[in-house]
Amino acid sequence: MSEMWINMGPQHPMTHGLWNLRVHIDGEIILDVDPEMGYLHRGIEKISEDRHYNEVITLMDRTCYVAGLAWEHLYIMAAEDALHIEVPERALWIRTLNDEFQRIASHIMWFAAFVQDIGLMSPFLYGMRDRDLVLDLFQSFTGGRLTYEYNRAGGVRNDLPLGFTDRARKVCDWLLPRFNEYDALCLGSDIFHRRCDGLGVLSAQDCVDYGVTGPMLRSAGVRRDLRKDRPYASYDKVDFDVAMANTADVTGRYLVRMEELRQSVRIVRQCLDWLDRHPGPVMADRLPRWLGAPYAPVGREGYLLKRNYPTGVGFSSVEEPHGEAQAYVVNTGGEHPYRVKFRSPVFANLGAAKKYMIGYRVADIPPIMGSVDICVGEVDR
Amino acid sequence: MLAEELRAHLAPKLGEGLLGVEPFERMAGRVRFQRASALALFREIHDGLGYTHLSMVGGIDWVDHREVFYVAWSDPRKEYVLLSTDVPADDPHVESAASIWPAANWHEREAFELVGVIFDHHPDLRRLLTPEGYEFHPLLRSFKLHEPEELEVKKRNV
Repeated sequence: MSEMWINMGPQHPMTHGLWNLRVHIDGEIILDVDPEMGYLHRGIEKISEDRHYNEVITLMDRTCYVAGLAWEHLYIMAAEDALHIEVPERALWIRTLNDEFQRIASHIMWFAAFVQDIGLMSPFLYGMRDRDLVLDLFQSFTGGRLTYEYNRAGGVRNDLPLGFTDRARKVCDWLLPRFNEYDALCLGSDIFHRRCDGLGVLSAQDCVDYGVTGPMLRSAGVRRDLRKDRPYASYDKVDFDVAMANTADVTGRYLVRMEELRQSVRIVRQCLDWLDRHPGPVMADRLPRWLGAPYAPVGREGYLLKRNYPTGVGFSSVEEPHGEAQAYVVNTGGEHPYRVKFRSPVFANLGAAKKYMIGYRVADIPPIMGSVDICVGEVDR
Repeated sequence: MLAEELRAHLAPKLGEGLLGVEPFERMAGRVRFQRASALALFREIHDGLGYTHLSMVGGIDWVDHREVFYVAWSDPRKEYVLLSTDVPADDPHVESAASIWPAANWHEREAFELVGVIFDHHPDLRRLLTPEGYEFHPLLRSFKLHEPEELEVKKRNV
């Protein structure tokens, strides 16, 4: 058989975004892969250096367009760390709630796209229908369905509207039985098992060596979840289990994400109960004026006078739907961050592509790449 | 693990290669080292202390020099450590960590293209996010998005 390189992408149904997978094949067998990224590189880290701290939040929604609130949370924690700002407790709980709803929306989006890759059409429509309910909730308090711009240094922009918790509970009640439906559609289907079982195996050792995180790591049997290991926001006060599997293949990643959906609903319910009982401020009251906090518009002199800026380095990491994301913010005492660096979990997961692709067949590429849950926006930044 | 313990563990093994260990919020500490002893430090951090998971590699341009930083995670200890070294701007070379943490491969490619740090003995140091043949390192301070004077004028006219 003759060997050759083929391009899967940048416009290929498998890629879910703009990127190119160069595959070296011998007949049907994959000999080598080389992901080519950068089609969506917008220089978010560079633009951030030129913006005020709160203005970077707008970019965070665009960094990962399926998990905007999780990325806002990531950045804002690092920025608050660098600026030495304390956040009221209610804002922390709202952020926890957002993170989990965002995880539900992101995982359902993944599910919908993934099952379509392996040839099941109807779960896609069910998935998009259910994700819309979560987006409706986001719209009710942020005004946006995809790009929210809801977090601010010092808290969140506004409190939840009246009646929100009841509506959110109804959505939770609707979603839980739907997850069982998803399982029945996928795990009950012979097509699913024939296309997914034993594919894309990445052992626990390789996961650790290549910095793989998130559902891919947990499906290999490594119990690592930042929400448990290094709790941020209110995760130390909620009760949940870490979803695990030990097959390390595509089916294992599916099982982990499905279990995470159920655990997220569990966390959301605890957050809603807490928020019902504890009204309070959602924004720190003593913020530097130059920060451009809501309700306190920055005056012209706020931009021009440079005095009393605190300096510091902020670091934060969150368990984003795709894995472990990190932010590193250097504040040298100006209105703009000196340097902002983000660690994208999908970037690292894709970096290990050679390890879980080589040796499989060309037709296996869509399920394997689908199981990685690629969001090109955060890989390229 | 505290910064003091880190220092006590690393100092005898690295000698002058270790410039200092500072406490760093939310981490075990910030280890500053000389680039000549990079590999010895990485090996000690990875094998000796068990920080087996490399999370990110990044670069900062401080105009007169560049800083390369590494964040590593230890599963048993459940904490991060920050390693950082300075390289001169006219000779931005540092040893690649890819032989110790394979994860460093892509992170170093990114730091190379964005901040212009060259990682010696890297298995495949190509550009990753920017196009092939692209001449700039966009995250250097000399790469301006726009002239600062224009901004000043705009603000005053508001």
